[in-house]
Amino acid sequence: MRDPYSVLGVSPSASDEEVKKAYRDLARRYHPDNYQNNPLADLAEEKMKEINEAYDTITKQRSGGASGGYQQGYQQSYQRTADPTYIRVRNLINAGDLNSAEQLLFEMGRKDGEWYFLSGSIAYRRGWLDEAMQNYAQAVQLDPNNMEYRQALAVMQRGAMGGYRPMGYSSAGCDPCTTYLCCSMCTPWGGPCC
Amino acid sequence: MFGYVRPFQPELKCKDLSLYQATYCGLCRCLRRRYGLIAPLFLNYDFTFLALLLWEPEASFVPCRGRCHAGLLRKEPMCPDSPALDQAADQSVILAWWKLRDSVRDEGFWRGIPARILSWLMGPARRKAARRRPAFDRTVQSCLEELSALEGEGCPSLDRTADTFARLLQSAAPQEGARGRILSQLLYHLGRWIYLADARDDLEEDRLAGRYNPVAARYGPAGDDRALRLTMDQSLELIGAALQLGDFGCRLPVLENIIYLGLPRVEEAVFDGSWKEIKKQKIRRNDR
Repeated sequence: MRDPYSVLGVSPSASDEEVKKAYRDLARRYHPDNYQNNPLADLAEEKMKEINEAYDTITKQRSGGASGGYQQGYQQSYQRTADPTYIRVRNLINAGDLNSAEQLLFEMGRKDGEWYFLSGSIAYRRGWLDEAMQNYAQAVQLDPNNMEYRQALAVMQRGAMGGYRPMGYSSAGCDPCTTYLCCSMCTPWGGPCC
Repeated sequence: MFGYVRPFQPELKCKDLSLYQATYCGLCRCLRRRYGLIAPLFLNYDFTFLALLLWEPEASFVPCRGRCHAGLLRKEPMCPDSPALDQAADQSVILAWWKLRDSVRDEGFWRGIPARILSWLMGPARRKAARRRPAFDRTVQSCLEELSALEGEGCPSLDRTADTFARLLQSAAPQEGARGRILSQLLYHLGRWIYLADARDDLEEDRLAGRYNPVAARYGPAGDDRALRLTMDQSLELIGAALQLGDFGCRLPVLENIIYLGLPRVEEAVFDGSWKEIKKQKIRRNDR
């Protein structure tokens, strides 16, 4: 295992606060929410595991006991669907075999919410985001109560507002709150200048 | 390519600007050394980004001083030759040449003359580059052929047309291992984003000329800026997510600047029509 301090990017003499801050920043960066459906999700998960282990090791070393790492287990927990073909399609998508998954879907006669959701997932994995969103929207329309479909669509609709931004890049000129804050700090009367 | 991939200079630290400039100048020198005096014509910001991305993460930034191609009396700090610069130089020659062939075919006899002359002059350079990167040469050719076939049949799918250019750019990096996967996702979505930005930029011009435009084919002749921006922003998200997973050493701050500030700003400009102005701006230090 790598040196836990170099994993977190801090020196061994860093204070508990600094370690915690570094850990939090990294955990935010590689949080599973930022890699939902992402073909690189497994790499992010590995990183997350490495960071958690490093933080655990350091806190154990320092306190000689309990640790308080980020331990929320994350699995791509798909809802179990009744149709065995859909389960096979999901497994194929998870294994990265998109062509076979698409072929299986193609051979099915009926098209319901699940069908559109899985087509959307295949398109998303390919990077065909426009088609992915159309399919997700269709799935939500056919089955408005399914949280999985709604979440997939919501992730796509949040666009540039979601996801991780490194320090100092959070206001790319489009975040109204930050812009307002900057303006009110720059002007002597404390109000908006624009 | 098109120059869409550029840093946002006001937010770039001095040392990162020096790194960026030395990479740019280094790429210019690399083009000149490998492909002769007219090859630096193909120098652009997009391939400077590619060189920064492909650089070995453990290599630190040690510039040397070299003579500038544009003003031979001036000496500038430049990155010395490296595999990443060589690769970016080879690939920019290949892509530029195939784009020239494309415009020769699209422009008709008289208006195609400059492109024909230039592509004739660059023929030997491209053959040399193709010998060095045969796989990339083949992919560029086949992707551009696919693209013009889709354009010819008026393909209504935004993703299918963008996919051809995205795959083209994706093939610029090696695909093996975890790093390969990261780079290939990053470049795929960068290619997609560039293609869509270019299509939006050409929307008005294509409409007047009665040409095919993928944005018009998908959303109607006026386009749909909200929907298009959303899908472009999603690609930017995935580019950022991929960048965070990779190891880019001392080049990370420049890459972050380009991805989190440069690209969104260019996108903004393409949509509000100020891109032509920004395109002309040079990325350089003011003290020279």
